[in-house]
Amino acid sequence: MQNLKDFTANFPNDLQSLKLGFLLQTQRSPSSQNSPSIMAESICRTLRDGSLEGEHAPALTLTIKDTAASPFGFDVFAYVLSQLSSFILEGKSQSRSVQLQFIRHSFLPETAPFNIGSSLSDAERPMNSTVCYRIQILDCYTDPLGWKGKLVESGNAMCISDEASSVTHLCKDVRDLDNLYSLILELGKGLAGQGKAHFSVAIDSVNEMLRHASLSRVAGLLSNLRSHDQISCIYWLLHSDLHEVRVTSSVEYMSSMVANVEPLNPSASGQRWDSENVSLLKQNFQKGKLNVRFKRRNGRVRLMCEEFHIEQSGINFTPVSSEDGTINQGLLPKVQFSLQLSEKEQTERAKVVLPFEHQGNGKPMQIYDGRRSLEDNKNEATLASTGNLQRNEASGEGEIIYFRDSDDERPDSDEDPDDDLDI
Amino acid sequence: MSATKGRTSSFTRNVLSASSSQTPGIKCGPNGTFFVSSGISDLDKILGGGIPLGSLVMVMEDAEAPHHMLLLRNFMSQGLVQDQPLLYASPSKDPRGFLGTLPCPSSKDDKLRNHDPQQEKGLRIAWQYKKYFGENQQSFDGHRGSKQEFCNDFDLRKPLERHFFSGQRVDCVSVKDSPNLVALQDRCTTFLAQFPRNDGSISSVGRIAIQSLCAPQCTHSNMEWDVLSFISYLKSMLWSANAVAVVTFPPSLLSESFCKRWQHMADILLSVRAIPDDDKELAKLLTGYQDMVGFLNVHKVARTNTQVPLILEATTFSIKLQKRRFLVLECLNQAPIDGSSGASYGTSGSCSGSSKTGTLEF
Repeated sequence: MQNLKDFTANFPNDLQSLKLGFLLQTQRSPSSQNSPSIMAESICRTLRDGSLEGEHAPALTLTIKDTAASPFGFDVFAYVLSQLSSFILEGKSQSRSVQLQFIRHSFLPETAPFNIGSSLSDAERPMNSTVCYRIQILDCYTDPLGWKGKLVESGNAMCISDEASSVTHLCKDVRDLDNLYSLILELGKGLAGQGKAHFSVAIDSVNEMLRHASLSRVAGLLSNLRSHDQISCIYWLLHSDLHEVRVTSSVEYMSSMVANVEPLNPSASGQRWDSENVSLLKQNFQKGKLNVRFKRRNGRVRLMCEEFHIEQSGINFTPVSSEDGTINQGLLPKVQFSLQLSEKEQTERAKVVLPFEHQGNGKPMQIYDGRRSLEDNKNEATLASTGNLQRNEASGEGEIIYFRDSDDERPDSDEDPDDDLDI
Repeated sequence: MSATKGRTSSFTRNVLSASSSQTPGIKCGPNGTFFVSSGISDLDKILGGGIPLGSLVMVMEDAEAPHHMLLLRNFMSQGLVQDQPLLYASPSKDPRGFLGTLPCPSSKDDKLRNHDPQQEKGLRIAWQYKKYFGENQQSFDGHRGSKQEFCNDFDLRKPLERHFFSGQRVDCVSVKDSPNLVALQDRCTTFLAQFPRNDGSISSVGRIAIQSLCAPQCTHSNMEWDVLSFISYLKSMLWSANAVAVVTFPPSLLSESFCKRWQHMADILLSVRAIPDDDKELAKLLTGYQDMVGFLNVHKVARTNTQVPLILEATTFSIKLQKRRFLVLECLNQAPIDGSSGASYGTSGSCSGSSKTGTLEF
């Protein structure tokens, strides 16, 4: 739909940008060699489906976490962004537009290493005579602390032409998170128009926000975004080794999905460069594992794992080769043997005929020996071997002959233990 | 599991029985304590009758599951249904919105759990003394009658009727934007002043529900010592008031030493845990895994006016939603071992700890 040559002509000569620029083309072409990723697709589909009405904190949030050992978080982020953008452009998702706030990598149209360029060209094209953009960019990268503005004012630098692009908005102070929040909302509502259409928010890097503001303020901003009715889904990238564990766990606390980018061989990273380790390290440069924890609405956690492969054409996901058990060791509880009966078991127990019980039907008493039903009196033929015990007849086969030890013993009838029974 | 009959010794204290009959939400317990229901009848049984008046219940949340909300909802609904004033604090901007999700008590037609008398009748012995059993049964039924009002079965799918919380009975506080906990502390003080504890009868009982104390978006989450002093203040206020408080907090977001300190502050300490979805190992190990949504661990049970500890048969319970509506806590039961597989008792991980499944405590 767009001319790829024109598209790439705008790119700076950067390997990363080139690689990611091809993302769109390979996603769209049917002859793509990328194997479809089940899990990463499911993340995107879940984000696409978005929030449910009336939930406590409706918007779905995804945290993409990576570390220095496997620094491919941005690739995953770009993948999610491209997938969701394509869903939005095809009209399949709950959110109608994307509000992209970038602070660390540049996503400006001229330098965007990304299919955002194409989305922009789509978005700027008015649809159905109403000017309706599908993407808004909040640029916190160019001038986050307002220094360039100050330089211009003091006359030390040339005035940078600030074209008021209808799609890009500049943020001059990232430390003021309240202002940032209202900016995001304003742009988002501007995208949505008057109606209650949803939009999604993509935040490039939470680390940069944490650099300028405290954890509670950033967490406050994220939770405000989450609770807003019009926001369908939010996703962001976090480099977990740049902060304390507490910070990372706070951000995870606020998200409904966590995607961990991990190296394939965790032992290989951080060791000395021995000859055996080099090959493992090289593997870590291109491949990795993506572990995703979905927090489902019913309170269970779905764990999924996939391997990914960074190539020139983009990121490829493959199902994980070895299946290992996913039991958390600390989770195993004390189990007991079941001493209670379920309903079905209770009714079945009620049906069991007990051996010495009154059947209550007035027939002559018959001790049920458990081998056949009580009604089956006439059928003598089958009983030849087992013998039918009846109270007044001795059994045919065996006899018990009891010799009293002495005559002084009282007769047994005084102490008949069967007196207690109600037969 | 036999229900607590309320009289564990032959000595009974001369308690004011008049108060318990007037206020349906309060039950007399042993050693001169009074119980309030937690809203979940299984939890009341586990705790030995309910939550004792004046105690602080702390629930440790799991970052991955919202089960603490289920406990809070039942607790709050139970109080509202029994006309007990409620103070609710949460880190969201609009705590009143949460009241719309409180469950409604289910109608009597949906009685699920009447198996107690059935179990008595189910044991059939051909014994001539059975005819003397009738009188025991009657006394047991009498107990059950009063229990119905003490703890209701809540239908989580039906929202509570508005008239229960539209009046002055519910006070909501948002802790999000306040710079410290002083405002919350003042609100708690004024709320608890309504229920002073005298030696006279108990006129009304209050409930405090604090959700996610020290959540990351609140400013006070950085001030750990202040939060700790708030908790000890709350505990001391509760002790001289006819009220109970349930506080939930995320332990993974606190530093370890503070987490321990908070746990020591609690009179009743519970924790909820998420379970992995579609986990074949757990499905093999436990019965009813499909219906489970999480685990509840009971770490501490309050024992007031006594030095005898309560030793529980089991400390981990599974949280199940029966018919997706009713919250049920059950003991974890081992799944029947598949005899046909030929695996010996030891390798299936029951008695001896097998290396694959980790250690099982017994």
